[in-house]
Amino acid sequence: MILVWGPADDPPTQRVLEILRDRQRPVLHVDEPTLDTLRYDVTLGIAAEGWLEVLGQRVPLATLSGVYLRPGEARSTAARSASAALLGVTASVAATVVNRPAAGRSNGSKPYQARLMTNAGLAVPDLLVTTDPQKARAFVAEHRKVVYKSISGVRSIVSLLDAERPSDMARLEAVAHGPVQLQRWVAGRDVRVHVVGSRCFATAIDSDATDYRYAARQGSDVTLTTTDIPSTLADQLVSLTAQLGLLVSGIDLLLTPDGRWFILEVNPSPGFTFYEEATAQPIGEAIVDLLLEDRQASISSASAKPEPV
Amino acid sequence: MIVIVGSRHDAVAAGLLETWPDASLCSAQDLTQPGWSWALPRTHADPRWVVDGRVVADAQVSGVFVRRSTVYPEELLATHPDDRNYLAAEAHAFLMFVLATTRAQVCNPVFDGAYGDEALQPERWAPVAQRLGIAVAPIRLASGRAAPPPGRSVLVEAVGDQAFGAGSPRQHHGARSLMQGLGLVSASLAFDGRGRLLTISGTRPPANRDALALLGSVLSGATP
Repeated sequence: MILVWGPADDPPTQRVLEILRDRQRPVLHVDEPTLDTLRYDVTLGIAAEGWLEVLGQRVPLATLSGVYLRPGEARSTAARSASAALLGVTASVAATVVNRPAAGRSNGSKPYQARLMTNAGLAVPDLLVTTDPQKARAFVAEHRKVVYKSISGVRSIVSLLDAERPSDMARLEAVAHGPVQLQRWVAGRDVRVHVVGSRCFATAIDSDATDYRYAARQGSDVTLTTTDIPSTLADQLVSLTAQLGLLVSGIDLLLTPDGRWFILEVNPSPGFTFYEEATAQPIGEAIVDLLLEDRQASISSASAKPEPV
Repeated sequence: MIVIVGSRHDAVAAGLLETWPDASLCSAQDLTQPGWSWALPRTHADPRWVVDGRVVADAQVSGVFVRRSTVYPEELLATHPDDRNYLAAEAHAFLMFVLATTRAQVCNPVFDGAYGDEALQPERWAPVAQRLGIAVAPIRLASGRAAPPPGRSVLVEAVGDQAFGAGSPRQHHGARSLMQGLGLVSASLAFDGRGRLLTISGTRPPANRDALALLGSVLSGATP
């Protein structure tokens, strides 16, 4: 039995459900309305035990072999209680979980995640997090063009600050009101790599927009095409994904005109359908293959110790 | 200097400020004050904190005691109410980076994108406890069933490789092993009446005077 927890109108959730049904695999789907009526009796220990019941269908946790997780926001009190219980279950159930809740937390702090990516041997454009306008001005002056985006996982539109534009330099006074992340802008082609277990699916993105996700809003076009990445880079990305405790990730990279690769972000819950629909890469199929693999995934990440400073 | 990362309204943090003479408080408001500067790579900047309203070089900070697991919007009183949710999320994410990057001894280190007690969830410590032969109390959650009242528990406090307080020699030994296995500086471990591990907290300072003095010594850099 595969548990799929995500909104019915969420394209990646829809795609995983569609493939599982095409393959005639038993599925337990939990979304916001069913969360309200979810019944459960679970014991969380080394591995979660007990049962879940959705719309009269009772499922012993021992029969769960895979879990696909893209929970939406739980609004009601009942849904929040059920959500907390399900998060506890998905953290410790002996099944293949894409992805365990704690594994995605590094994406909640972009500079912290950048540090992990650097430690994994990948090149990250220089960044500064500051509340000091003078330091911010010096950073922009040094790098000439700088990208500004949120530090946290709060979705934000990436914007560009240019040292040549006095209005951009004047805006930097505002960093005194709260921490701001500035990152050296690197010219190059955006590449999104979806890592699924040990497989990589690379998509090149061509767009004039600073943030291609919002190309249409900015009056720009975006073209997505399947591309290749060096095998050594693929190995590094698979290794990084595993180090973060993830089975599936969506990694944003940049390829410079002189052939250097920079890594920008690892998304632990990627909206892969946007790329799959444009390129016909079988990302959803690979995710379902992973969910159906006959194995007992490791419950905990490799190490319970923090990374060395 | 010891930096206590906590709230101005936290009586426990205030008690630590009185106990440790070289300690200062870094509040949520400090996280939004001018003066912070942290870079990656770290070599590109001279990292700076804002502690009790003053700008402090990271080199001056010997230890950090973390009393919180997040930054709450309600703490940011100087910020416009419309902006508090966003700024609290940003301050939390920034603090994560600072705690993971500082050269100071952090009690306890960031783990898997979390700090404070959020970094000490059972899914992290339960498998380690099992490997070390420490019994773990299961947590039962059932829809429509109220949580049972907490039973009698025994608290063991540990700082580095030393354990303090009540508890059997076996529990003290288990606590020391877990500290090492998890890479913790200080923690309070609660065991139930059957000797099974219930919870671990890293944000509660030791109540035992000797343990508290040892922790102060570790964070001030006097004890390795």
